[in-house]
This record gives sequence, C-alpha cells and structure tokens, in this order.
Amino acid sequence: MKETENIFLNLINQHKAIIHKISKMYMNDAEDQRDLFQEIILQLWKAYPTFKGNSKFTTWMYRVCLNTALVYFKKDNKKVDKAPLDENIDVMDINENEGKEEKLTYLYTAVQELNAIEKALIFLFLENQSHRDIAGNLGISEVNARVKLNRTKEKLQFIIKKNGYEF
Amino acid sequence: MNFDDIKNEWNAESSEGNNISTDMLKIKQANTPIDKIRAKMKHEFYYQLFFLLLMVFIPFLAGFSTAIKQVYLITYATTCGFTAYYFFKFYTFYKNSYDMSMDTRKNILWFYYEMKLNVELYKALTYIIAFIAVGFMSAYLFIEKASVFAKILTNLSPVFLILNCFITILIIGVITELWAWFYYGRYLKQVKKVVDELDYE
Repeated sequence: MKETENIFLNLINQHKAIIHKISKMYMNDAEDQRDLFQEIILQLWKAYPTFKGNSKFTTWMYRVCLNTALVYFKKDNKKVDKAPLDENIDVMDINENEGKEEKLTYLYTAVQELNAIEKALIFLFLENQSHRDIAGNLGISEVNARVKLNRTKEKLQFIIKKNGYEF
Repeated sequence: MNFDDIKNEWNAESSEGNNISTDMLKIKQANTPIDKIRAKMKHEFYYQLFFLLLMVFIPFLAGFSTAIKQVYLITYATTCGFTAYYFFKFYTFYKNSYDMSMDTRKNILWFYYEMKLNVELYKALTYIIAFIAVGFMSAYLFIEKASVFAKILTNLSPVFLILNCFITILIIGVITELWAWFYYGRYLKQVKKVVDELDYE
C-alpha cells in the first residue's frame, strides 16, 4: 500500500500543474480552488486502481480531473474534513503571476464566464489535445467536438475583448 | 494576443508550491453531488430508525384499545417492511462506487440517472409512509371514535368527502415533492445543467 501511495504521489506531483490549472479554471475564489484541488486529488486516488497503464497517465488524469470538476459541488461548510491545506498544497496565486503571465490572468478571468463543458473544451484545447482526443474525453462525436470548440473559442475571444484586452 | 500566445504561456506555466503529501490521500469525505446525497441519506436512515423505535411506545403512551393495537401492529410491521426494503436499496446505492475515469458523457449520465433513481425511490418511500399514516388515522377514527366519526360523516356530503380525500392526497404529493426537491433537488439540478450543456448542439 505504501509503495502504491508513493508511486501515485510521484506521478501526481509530476503532473500537478494539470490539477492547478483545472482548479483555477473551474473556481474563481482562492479557497474554492483549494477545495477543488483537494477533491481532485481524492478522486484521483480513489480512481487510481482503475488505471491499468493501457493509456498515458495524463490521458487518464485529464478524465478524472475534468469529471470531478464537472460534478464538484462547493462545500457548504468550509471546515468539513480538510487536510491542512496551507502546509500541503499551494494553488498558484493569480496575483503572484500578474505581469509575468498577464495573458493567462486574462484567460482565467474570461473562462469564468464559460459554462462547465466550454471550460473543459478550452482546457483540452490548451493542453494540445486533438479534436479526436477531445471527443474521446468528453464522449461526443469528433464533428461535435470541432463545432463546440470553435464556438467556445469565438465566445472566449469575445469575452476577452469585452474585458478590454486586444485579441 | 491570440490563441497561440495563450497556448505558449499555458504550456510554460509551471506548478509552483510544495509537493502533494500523503495527508491529502487520507481525507475520506468526497464532495460530489452523489456523495452529498449519500451523506444525507445516511442521516435520514438514522432519523428513520429513531422514529421506528419511538413508534414502539405510541400504543402504550396513547392508551390504545386492543382492537386499534392490532391495527397499529399491522401498520407498524408494514412500515418497517417498506422502510427495510427501501433502505436496502439505498444501501446498495451507498455502496455502489463510481468510476471517474469514464468519458465525461458516460460519467455525467451515470451520476444523473443514479441520483434521479434514488431521489425517486426516496419519494416513493415517503408516499408509502404518508399513505400508511393516513390509513391508520382513518382506522383509528373508525374504531376508537366511531360515534363522533359517524356524526361527522352523516353531516357531510359525499362530494365534500371525496374532495377532502383528493386534497389530502394533493397535500401529501406537494409536501413530498417539495421536500425531495429541497433536500436533493439542487444536486440533481447541477448535474442536469452539465448534461444539458453537453447535449447542446
């Protein structure tokens, strides 16, 4: 068990940027981002026995992370069953990145106006997933994925412009 | 700025901060709508158990006659039977684990229908218990308060009585639906919203 835990943690730590990015896309508030981050780790750990190594670890991870974010329900009571977060995880602070990653700051602000599926589409697109991979992850047809992604990109472009940034 | 610029920055964004530790794996309480419903159903099970135990004392506290005690015993046994059946179903739901590694459509539909099914089961149990309670109250009035009840019946028109029954059923229905919606509806609504977003052409 300890060995499985170590292998899992090693893999997750290598790819934790995926979880950070999804948390920031799906939650606006820093505390909610931490909660979602924690929830994703928990769901990844619970689902880990289903990872048979037939696909890349990141492919499996994208699905679990996105599915968790899609059905995640904000906690009613923030004090419920939490690990000492401040000591264990640091969700990247948007303010810290201001200046050096200004474009991403605009992106994270703009995606808050997208719906849950549109966020998933943009996330997979930014992760360099092909239309086929996006379709496979979301369980929709390739044509549908292409159409939805194009619409979402147009919508995102419009939101970024509306927010006063040249696109 | 264009999408290529965003992609470049996105891919360059590294994950700062400490590594994820084993403490993060020790948390037991998940926060999906399914887990929320399961937690509420678990609480309801304890409440239900408490009320069933409390019901044992009602005949002694209310001073029922032998005749109504027998009716009460049948009512109690029926209630216990239905509750046990439905809570077995809820227990199966409780123990049925979900697979988050399925594709999003399969995953979200599994969540939606599993939740919907259990909310419907919950409503069915509430209806059954409410009708058993109404049935027992009627039997109580017939047996224990026969003279008063007969007087009331003779003074009321059949149309009024039928209307009364209809309104009682309607009230039970409205309360059950509202209670189920208040208790579980928002979780269903959230998942349904994602299903609709996925299906939107």
